[in-house]
Amino acid sequence: MALPYSVTGRTAKVAGLARCPACGTLGQASPKLHCRGCGGVVHARIPFSLQRTWAFLIVGLMAYVPANTLPIMSSTGYTGATSDTILSGVMTLADQGSPGVAIIIFVASICIPVTKFFIIGGLALSLHLDLPLSGHKRHRLHAVTEFIGRWSMIDVFVVAVLAALIQLGAIITIEPGVGINAFALSVVFTMFSALSLDARLIWDGNAT
Amino acid sequence: MSRTLAITLDDLVACRSCDLLHLRKPLALGEQTRCRRCSSIMSTRKPATIDRSLAAVLASIVLLLISLMLPFLSLSRAGIESQISILDAVASLWESDLRWLGLVTLALIVLLPLGRLVLLAWVLAAIRLRRPANRALRSAFRWATRLEPWAMADVFMVGVAISLVKLGSVARLEIGLAFWSLCALIALTVIVTIVLCKDTVWRYLIQ
Repeated sequence: MALPYSVTGRTAKVAGLARCPACGTLGQASPKLHCRGCGGVVHARIPFSLQRTWAFLIVGLMAYVPANTLPIMSSTGYTGATSDTILSGVMTLADQGSPGVAIIIFVASICIPVTKFFIIGGLALSLHLDLPLSGHKRHRLHAVTEFIGRWSMIDVFVVAVLAALIQLGAIITIEPGVGINAFALSVVFTMFSALSLDARLIWDGNAT
Repeated sequence: MSRTLAITLDDLVACRSCDLLHLRKPLALGEQTRCRRCSSIMSTRKPATIDRSLAAVLASIVLLLISLMLPFLSLSRAGIESQISILDAVASLWESDLRWLGLVTLALIVLLPLGRLVLLAWVLAAIRLRRPANRALRSAFRWATRLEPWAMADVFMVGVAISLVKLGSVARLEIGLAFWSLCALIALTVIVTIVLCKDTVWRYLIQ
């Protein structure tokens, strides 16, 4: 197929083409396109990108509520039983003299998820409303959310390791609470949400 | 004019993050091109990528297996000593009421990373041995790329380190061999992303 020289400087979509997300091969856009290079499914844009993003984001937000209100861990020892939510766990850590760890958990379990909700929600909203914001800034925000999301899982792994370790020790017991399930779900759904947001939409509205 | 005015699809590259079309330039070894609008990296050509990535991937598989089998922490308290490996940790979550948490942990730190590494090793070995490219290899490499954000061994390590601090006041903890092999694994994961050139691999797979 011959194309005019002037297609460079336009987007593939405007030129009627679609780029394979896996191998980068270009093909002529059509519904149900399979890449002529690698055989994968190709869309000019992720179908229903914004709807998917919102759906996953809302589920992530819904799961984040019980994740914070229900206990993520309860421990029984000679001093009696205590149960901790994410926030009270951070407080306990800070009181017991490990502020560094308290800060890491606070950042991973509270700052990162909340920032992510705002960034993804904000980006999706700016795309819905066609806000004239800088593509470069939004592009950077999008890249950040994909990078930081996975680090929220820290608290889930801490609870898993503690519970496993202590059950073998047999003197005090630590039991994971329902909250940690909700938290893990929230992180996973927010990651799906970030992955569903098609970064190319950011540049479709304005050229700069 | 010596240059023809019409071009074909194969003369073009589109930016992965903003979709802008550029003319494909032949790259020398070690060169890369960036999108002129959003400056994301568009295409790369890394030197000796197949050999280097295959070596790093095989080493990662060995280290991952070591990390799974050997104890990564041992805890002693009032004369009782217990050692756990990652598989023990997952098993004890499974036996308590938290099958779900056990499954998520197993998937994120064992199944998905191992799956990704095995797929990569298979694809790279096939290219190294000059086997003809086929559909299965192309799907394998596509999936290996797709699994990337879900392999969380590095996040797990930070979790382990924090558990150490949390329990430090209650019991005496010692770090096992698997802990160090997990550290090495994370370093290797970074190396794999540095030396692996996806464009080169795709060039071999699509002929």
